Amino acid sequence: MRKLPKFILTVAAAGALTVGMLPLSACSSSGKEVVLRVSNWEEYIDLGDWDDDELIEIDNPYAPELGGVIGINSIVDDFTEWFNNGDHGFNIRVEYSTFGTNEDLYNRLNLGDTYDLVCPSEYMIMQLVNEGRVEKYSESFHDKNIQTNYYARNVSPYIDGVFTENGWKEYAACYMLGTTGIVYNPEIVSAEDVSSWSVLKNPEYKRQVTVKDNVRDAYFATLGILNAEELLGESITSARRSELLNSTHDDTIAAALDILKDIKNNVYSFETDSGKADMITGKVVANYQWSGDGVFIMDEADDDTNNPTELWYSVPDECTNLWFDGWVMLKDGINGDEQKRTAAEAFVNFLSRPDNAIRNMNYIGYTSSIAGDPNEESSMIFDYLEWNYGAENDGNTTLYDYDVSYFFGKECSVAADIETLEIGDDGSINRGRQLFAQYPPKNVIDRSVVMLDFGDRLSAINQMWINVRCLDVKDFNPAVVWTVVSLIVVGVAAIVLYKFRYQIFYRTPKKDNSDK
Amino acid sequence: MKVKLRFSRSQLCIPYAAFLILFVIAPLLVIVYYAFTNGQGHFTFDNFINFFSNTNTIGTLLYSMLLAITATLICLIIAYPTAYILARSGFKKQHVLLLLFILPMWINFTLRITALKEVLSVIEGNISLHPFLNSVIGMTYDFLPFMILPLYTSFLKLDKSLLEAASDLGANKFFVFLNVTLPLSVPAIVSGITMVLLPSMTNYVVLDMLYNSTFIMGSLIGSYFSAKDWHNGSMISLILLIIIFIVTIVTNRFSDKDTDARRTVL
Repeated sequence: MRKLPKFILTVAAAGALTVGMLPLSACSSSGKEVVLRVSNWEEYIDLGDWDDDELIEIDNPYAPELGGVIGINSIVDDFTEWFNNGDHGFNIRVEYSTFGTNEDLYNRLNLGDTYDLVCPSEYMIMQLVNEGRVEKYSESFHDKNIQTNYYARNVSPYIDGVFTENGWKEYAACYMLGTTGIVYNPEIVSAEDVSSWSVLKNPEYKRQVTVKDNVRDAYFATLGILNAEELLGESITSARRSELLNSTHDDTIAAALDILKDIKNNVYSFETDSGKADMITGKVVANYQWSGDGVFIMDEADDDTNNPTELWYSVPDECTNLWFDGWVMLKDGINGDEQKRTAAEAFVNFLSRPDNAIRNMNYIGYTSSIAGDPNEESSMIFDYLEWNYGAENDGNTTLYDYDVSYFFGKECSVAADIETLEIGDDGSINRGRQLFAQYPPKNVIDRSVVMLDFGDRLSAINQMWINVRCLDVKDFNPAVVWTVVSLIVVGVAAIVLYKFRYQIFYRTPKKDNSDK
Repeated sequence: MKVKLRFSRSQLCIPYAAFLILFVIAPLLVIVYYAFTNGQGHFTFDNFINFFSNTNTIGTLLYSMLLAITATLICLIIAYPTAYILARSGFKKQHVLLLLFILPMWINFTLRITALKEVLSVIEGNISLHPFLNSVIGMTYDFLPFMILPLYTSFLKLDKSLLEAASDLGANKFFVFLNVTLPLSVPAIVSGITMVLLPSMTNYVVLDMLYNSTFIMGSLIGSYFSAKDWHNGSMISLILLIIIFIVTIVTNRFSDKDTDARRTVL
């Protein structure tokens, strides 16, 4: 105890020394350099280093000397170089870090990490906006007349519409988007079965389907099953659809719990990442996926040297969750610093430059929000789409005009191989391969729902999810319970017997000892 | 000189004292604070009541105990004869043999479980059909060395003259084992049990990797924390801590009692 004050003093002195030096060293190293702290999902940006044969052969007005689009350096390095070569009056350095889940990011922000620019999903953006933590984009960011405002000029008019409609536009710039659906092996799972979310609890595929280990996705699919009848009806409106799939009433939650328990007893696993590998290797026949990961799985399964499999992606008939990841600036980080704001907005714009959007899209498999300026004659993104998915009419292939007009804001369609799409009698397309997963057709978008933040119902839904995953005492097998109880009784009896063995089995061993 | 020596000795404690305060006592106080407060920071017993009034959380406690007890028993059944044979065999290369059992500990845990998963898939086909069995195998695989090591050391240290004395006094091999070897190895059994039982109640990574979708205590705490519910999560951590504390006290009593017993036997 005597030494404690001395010890505290030492620690305090050391602490003071370190703290005192921090600002000093920060000052000396940065100079005029502004540090932009960016946090993004893991593996959610192009890291460059492509092989030469990965060149995307389309016209690239931003770097004609490359003869196409190719990632040589990482996007972050390219951005730093691009920005510092520009006429901004200051230099920047990007501190890039990653997070695993939205909740992970949120917890980190609450624990005191500060970032200037982050890329959470729409519901987390809503939560951060509601908590007043998000810095609005500047007026000039949305000015289409400025040449370097690549986001404002190139964002898909459809996405822009969704963001305006939901009131997100001034806070967030969409980065990637996608749907949710089911990747399946068409040789084993029938199209009819995967046309409904209830495939997750279909006993025919017992322990052969994986589901995302994430309450939002699991809950969404469950609501799809729960409201299947009304969702499949003729008279459903998009407002009603949104209402049904965003319901957080106690009754809905209780009903969802029962369905989720069924699903739990039927699935192979609730997975965070292992589902991709299990699907590719054929351990499971169907898995609940986000569209971008679906594209990745289909690509990998096609290229699997041992056992190439043709997998498909299905969007169930009931509904699909249209989700977005967007860039938001945080007040804590920007802290009124105009230079930081400029740098953050420039970062978003650089990512939105069509060649960079293609690099990211090609690298990570998701769908970029960038479509290209609808008023311009050609769009690089559309060129990429054609280069990637367009089929040649070589006599054996039947072509189908795959319509993506809604996304590009002008009449356009890709000539796709009809074999990669399942076209219904009414012309709707509900299942298909990579093209279908990456750029969903209009009829899928029409039944898509944006899943909003749960708000103050979050804890009730989290508790429901915990209850699903826990084993209820009432669900225990009575035989097991009695075995355990009897084992414990026997164990306790054995311990007691052992402890008093001298009193019970031996007469008086202690006396013998003392006699000696 | 003497004063100086003492001074440096107490200073030697500082690193550990600092560690203890920073990483054990302070977090523990934080856990206790969170366990008995609600979102508004008011004192409450609700978290405690929540745990014991929910059949799902009670079920989880039972399930984890069942899993942990089964894994521990299997570890004991495998480890006891193994350690006995290893230590008592006249085999000259017994260190090499021991190494074979310890070697898996040198390989990264995730890698081992991934390998186990593939092996089980080959044997069982679809591994998600036997979640409980797989979890028990995973835990046993993971914690077996922790059971073997203390037993092995205790058998090595065993005084051979005691065994000879027992045989001289007419005990056959079975009674020598029952009356001498077994009582003397009880402290080792106890320390082995503590080292296997407690981690296997919470090590949910094994369950996740082997596709057991049912929560055990560790995953329950983790899911409360990731749902930003620090209060219920802390309460469950605290309850687990108390259970562990009771188990430790009981087992320590048990092994202390046994040192007395050993003296009596002697």
